[in-house]
Amino acid sequence: MNFNHRVYTVLFLSLLLIGSTYGAAEPGGNGDATRDMQCGGACHGDAALNETSLATLTLSSPSTVYAGIPTTLTLTATNLSLSSTGIVGFFLLTDTTGHSDTPKDAGWDVLSESNGGASNYVEQTLPSSQTETSVSWVVRSSSEGMTSFYAAIHHGGSSKPFFAVTSTGYEVEAKEIPENLPRLAADFIPQSTRILDVPTELGLQTEFTESVQVEWKVEGGAIMSAQVNSSGDNMWSATIPAALQPTSLQWRAILQGDGPEQTTPWFTLTAEEAGWEIEEFAVYLQAFSLLFLIAGAVLALQSRLAPLPVSSKYDQTDLLPQRLDEESIVESVPQESSEESEIAPLPAGGLPNGWNEDQWKWYGHDYLAGKYGGGQE
Amino acid sequence: MISSQTFHVVSTELVVGAFSVSGLSFLFCLLLHLDVLKKADWKPMFDNVAHFTLAFGLAATPFAVLSGLSSSPGEGLNSPILVNKMFLSMAGMGFAIGVFISRWRLSQSVWATSKTATVHCTTGLAACGSMLLTASAGGTFLRGESLLDVLSLPYDAVLLFPTVISGIGLAIGIGLLVLGWLRMNAISSVH
Repeated sequence: MNFNHRVYTVLFLSLLLIGSTYGAAEPGGNGDATRDMQCGGACHGDAALNETSLATLTLSSPSTVYAGIPTTLTLTATNLSLSSTGIVGFFLLTDTTGHSDTPKDAGWDVLSESNGGASNYVEQTLPSSQTETSVSWVVRSSSEGMTSFYAAIHHGGSSKPFFAVTSTGYEVEAKEIPENLPRLAADFIPQSTRILDVPTELGLQTEFTESVQVEWKVEGGAIMSAQVNSSGDNMWSATIPAALQPTSLQWRAILQGDGPEQTTPWFTLTAEEAGWEIEEFAVYLQAFSLLFLIAGAVLALQSRLAPLPVSSKYDQTDLLPQRLDEESIVESVPQESSEESEIAPLPAGGLPNGWNEDQWKWYGHDYLAGKYGGGQE
Repeated sequence: MISSQTFHVVSTELVVGAFSVSGLSFLFCLLLHLDVLKKADWKPMFDNVAHFTLAFGLAATPFAVLSGLSSSPGEGLNSPILVNKMFLSMAGMGFAIGVFISRWRLSQSVWATSKTATVHCTTGLAACGSMLLTASAGGTFLRGESLLDVLSLPYDAVLLFPTVISGIGLAIGIGLLVLGWLRMNAISSVH
């Protein structure tokens, strides 16, 4: 490689290295999921490339939180300055070590969040002019005690990714549940999705509850009441009207019993189109059919195109010795002349019509003798 | 113990990496055997690299397919992109198996004429292309975007034949495979 080529190679590699800082981030976002804080750095490529976001993050919750009863944690983000895509991601964390720091790791289940899923990391796409937003998570502690919650944000900017996490923890104490407090069952998981065009029967399991009211609302709309029927002891069914387009609503239950009346957090219910279905047997059959058909076609084609070796009695290279030393050459000469003498010489016009070389080898002498209508010419 | 998602990422990267190198090597093989590139001493090198990486990618493909099925969200084939991924990966496997067996049974005869060399290299490139399209569909499925989005490929449409047609296709494919194998055995035994 001459000097010029080396210079071009170094310049090309340098260009690739410089370009990597612009191509490392994921400007399309990562999607809602359960993620630890490490993703906030790593999902934007090299964490060392992140700059500190100037956004202000504030967590809040109801004053009283009971273990085993869902409660809402709300994150308010202000002073946002986003990239042109407007995508911003928010984390709810329980420490800032970068790993094993999700609410689940601290014994808190995320039952619902404002995007309709149940993830500790949610993304929003905001207009470029919007500088403030909020995200809410409905969480439930499995045990009593104090937990520190942190919020983190990551988003793009003019040229670099930005990341920030709250410096101090937001303390939430899960207290012991008072006796006979009407509440949702400890293992109740709220329904988060429903199918379009079909009224939804929401099932609720409760404890110490004598009656239930269910309220629902769409964004910007009035609060509506749903019809609730008892379907057994502490089992309830509420009917939510059908959704005509993919959208989400929020619902909550008001529980009454011997203890003080309780109102659950707002749970998000998202309407989606019916799942896509296909006959899987037909898919697998067609997939294997493609495999065998293509592989078979390639083999058949190549076996047809590949040249066959031409075999001829005159090709006796296999009889040649591997090493052409003098001794073997001397030995081979009598053999060749001996075999040549056994085969009748070809007529001047070549092989007679309809004869092949092999026939000539064995019956050539007879042909020359006139046995097959031929003779010496 | 790693999750099926992580295993799918690992196996997919192996498959895509191996098939990419293989495809590049087949491209060089094609240029060399058509005398576009006049470097005769490169032929054995690219021949070896192309087929070794192809075999490696082929070995990793079943793991990628199976881990992909188990790691996809929901149950079964619940998205047209997943179905197209399945078709593309199986088509790529078909091309790769055809190339690999041809080279194994016919040995250097696949390079004997420009026609056989062209067919061989084109098939190798088709295997590589199918696998890269599969990876692109995976990117579209997971992230909603892929480098090959510029081609506006119809991942949302599935061309599904009736079961009978697929069954006939499978029978014909197996028949062709057996006939090709027998013919190649005959040729290789003459050699």
